[in-house]
Amino acid sequence: MHRGVAAVIGAALLLLLAGCNGNGQHAADQVIVTGSTTVQPIAEVAKEGFERTHAGVHVLVSGVGSSAGIENVVAGTSDIGTSSRDLKGDELEYGLVDTPIAYDAIAVIVNPSNPVDGLTKEQVKAIFEGRITNWKEVGGPDLEIGVVNRDEASGTREAFSKIVLDKERFDPTAVILPGTGQVRSVVAQAPSAIGYISLGFVTPEVKALAIDGVEPSEEAVVEGRYPVSRVLHFFTKGEPKGLVKEFIDHVLSPEVQEKVVRDAGFIPVTVKGIER
Amino acid sequence: MKRDAKNVTNAVALTVFWIAGLTTVVVLGAVIGYVFVNGIGRISLEFIFTNPHGVNAEGGIWPTIVATLYVTGLAMLIVTPVAVLAAVYLAEYAVQGRLVRTIRFAADTLASVPSIVMGLFGLALFVESMGFGFSVISGALALSFLMLPIVMRTTEEAIRAVPKYIRWGSYGLGASKWQTVSRVVLPAAAPRIITGIILAAGRAVGETAVVIFTMGTMINLPVLPTDPGRSMTVHLYQLAMEGINMPAAFGTALLLMAMVLAFNLSARWLLRRNRRMQG
Amino acid sequence: MSETASEQPRQQLKLMSRSTYLKEAALKNLFLLCATMAVAGVVLIFLFVGWRGWPVFAEVGLGRFLGGREWLPTEGLFGILPLLVGSLVVTLGALALGAPLAIGAAVFLSEIAPPRVRAVVRPAVELLAGVPSVVYGFFGLLVIRPVVADLTGGLGFGPLTAWLILAIMIVPTIATLTEDALGSVPDGIREASYAMGATTWQTIWRVLLPAAKIGIIDAVILGMGRAIGETMAVLMVVGNAPVFFRGLGKPISTLTSQIVMDMPYASGTHRTALFGLAIILFLISMGLVALVRGLSRLREESR
Repeated sequence: MHRGVAAVIGAALLLLLAGCNGNGQHAADQVIVTGSTTVQPIAEVAKEGFERTHAGVHVLVSGVGSSAGIENVVAGTSDIGTSSRDLKGDELEYGLVDTPIAYDAIAVIVNPSNPVDGLTKEQVKAIFEGRITNWKEVGGPDLEIGVVNRDEASGTREAFSKIVLDKERFDPTAVILPGTGQVRSVVAQAPSAIGYISLGFVTPEVKALAIDGVEPSEEAVVEGRYPVSRVLHFFTKGEPKGLVKEFIDHVLSPEVQEKVVRDAGFIPVTVKGIER
Repeated sequence: MKRDAKNVTNAVALTVFWIAGLTTVVVLGAVIGYVFVNGIGRISLEFIFTNPHGVNAEGGIWPTIVATLYVTGLAMLIVTPVAVLAAVYLAEYAVQGRLVRTIRFAADTLASVPSIVMGLFGLALFVESMGFGFSVISGALALSFLMLPIVMRTTEEAIRAVPKYIRWGSYGLGASKWQTVSRVVLPAAAPRIITGIILAAGRAVGETAVVIFTMGTMINLPVLPTDPGRSMTVHLYQLAMEGINMPAAFGTALLLMAMVLAFNLSARWLLRRNRRMQG
Repeated sequence: MSETASEQPRQQLKLMSRSTYLKEAALKNLFLLCATMAVAGVVLIFLFVGWRGWPVFAEVGLGRFLGGREWLPTEGLFGILPLLVGSLVVTLGALALGAPLAIGAAVFLSEIAPPRVRAVVRPAVELLAGVPSVVYGFFGLLVIRPVVADLTGGLGFGPLTAWLILAIMIVPTIATLTEDALGSVPDGIREASYAMGATTWQTIWRVLLPAAKIGIIDAVILGMGRAIGETMAVLMVVGNAPVFFRGLGKPISTLTSQIVMDMPYASGTHRTALFGLAIILFLISMGLVALVRGLSRLREESR
């Protein structure tokens, strides 16, 4: 028993010491990518291909939201901060370098049973601000609108807020869900629901509304006609170099752009035509 | 007439109690059954032993299983010596007084601290102030505070359950107190102590709010204690709320439930075997 | 309780060698040190959460923090009143549903169930305690929420869904402790009641439950602590809108769920305010423990 206790304490101490030693800067063969949950799928799949061609290199990807990603790259805890929005406020002052990697459009979705097929941007704004609360006010049935909003950490919300709400306050009584798929499945189940998700995640379970008469489609986004769209970014502290640059080049390669980006439902940055 | 009313009331009341008792079984069955039916199709060796990949976290969940067991094991290593020796003090050495009352109050308080508060505490102390970052060691240290009162209480009960005459025999042979405790009392109480540790570990495996803020959310196969990782609970939370790959969420939920049930059932089995051996 | 310290005959000390005596004394102090880790834990939590959260009372102001009616971090409004009310609504509703169920199950286990049934129900209650809260949340989100959505006509996120999930989650806590309390009622009392011709129900209602009253109140208070501190399951079903209660199927938010929702992106005063929420939660749970200890002292004195 004596020895047993001593051994356990010893082991615990050793582990603690190991913990202290390894603390601090991360290894040189790592690329840490944090940020937008929208960009996460792209980064994660790109990582797989990258690690296959670069033996011994680890790319660590985590989706923590665009703001946190930018904060991390500024603080130096990440090599790449991914973001589904532009820099704002203080963030502009840190000399971050922007590499656009894809286009994304946000679809406003409703239940397929909902007879409403399209709304104006103004109507969408009013609904998400809580000024329109019943579907009959926009030509639908007499049914209270169930607004589904995203959490503040979401880059999708950030973009939606900027593009559609002009930064006006969201209806505070709306349901807040922290994930795209949850928004989609709730809208798919509830006839009264309305939500917004990236165009890439729209499935037949839900109906994407035409905004100002424009159906959300890749062509409409690339041609700049669909009003609710944005650019996805990789931010680095200074010009990317070394492994970080190699990883970014990999993401911009046709292999990733044409397959991964498109598979994830986004629009490759190599497609020309969008002016912001 | 009056007698009938009395019997009817009795019968109705008993039925209500039966319903209350059986509701617990039905609910447990429903939760387990739901997760099992939806998750079993996803379970395969590939799901357990490969890394997640692809746009929608296809593939396996191996890193999250490793992270969960790693952080739980490490927390057990940290908490066991402290909690067992603390219980030895309370059961064998302590004299009732203000100090013991304070320790017990602290243990009760610790046991009821909401896990989210424990998570923020771990974030403030281990992740940020001590500079461990989001890591297995930060998670394990925070979890060990969560497990401490559980292991302390079960160990103390186990020690107290050891009959006094066994100690007298030891003292009679001239053994010192520590010799008596370490060679006689603790071995006799060991099965119940281990049961307590396993139960606390089961609690740690199922913990989410603590590890999400101490170990992080990064899918990574942790090797060093300073590596970050994503626990199965956090993985399930993210898959469920992201809602894109629900089959993987069900598969994760099923494995998580299986792991927690395994911990609980093995603890119960150990206890029962011990009782039978003693009885 | 622990008179074991004086058990060892004093003479034995003289028989010990000096080195043994020193070793024994050193070990005793080591054990004491370990035992004070629990105290250290509480103090550390208080210090570190307090240290991070304390400035909020200066930055926001005590009145505007505790009494503010709007939680809008982006606009610098950190009123936690809606969250406090949300936690209270969720907890009280869960208790109203869960406590009777748990006490009923405990009475069933202790007084009514045949041994074979008990051998199934008791492990079930204990295993319910082992189910991870994120699994409860998952179940609530996918199974209970759609049902509530149909019932209330909304989206199903809100207090009612949280109540149903939490009610189940607090059953093990309350049931186990209630069963202990019933078990500590002397058998003589039961036998006396039955001998007077009382039915099982009369014995339970008029004799056993009153006799175990304080123990049951303890159990319910600890169940309340569990409910108010529950995070993941609530977060997944409550809707997370930091507004006052407006209906069973309308989203609200709680102290715990708001922390998890906001933490990933919070900075500055907002982050401080989240640690402030944790201080409040810590004080509430500590207050409940103190209440239980006060009650059990009351019980010991009344004996």
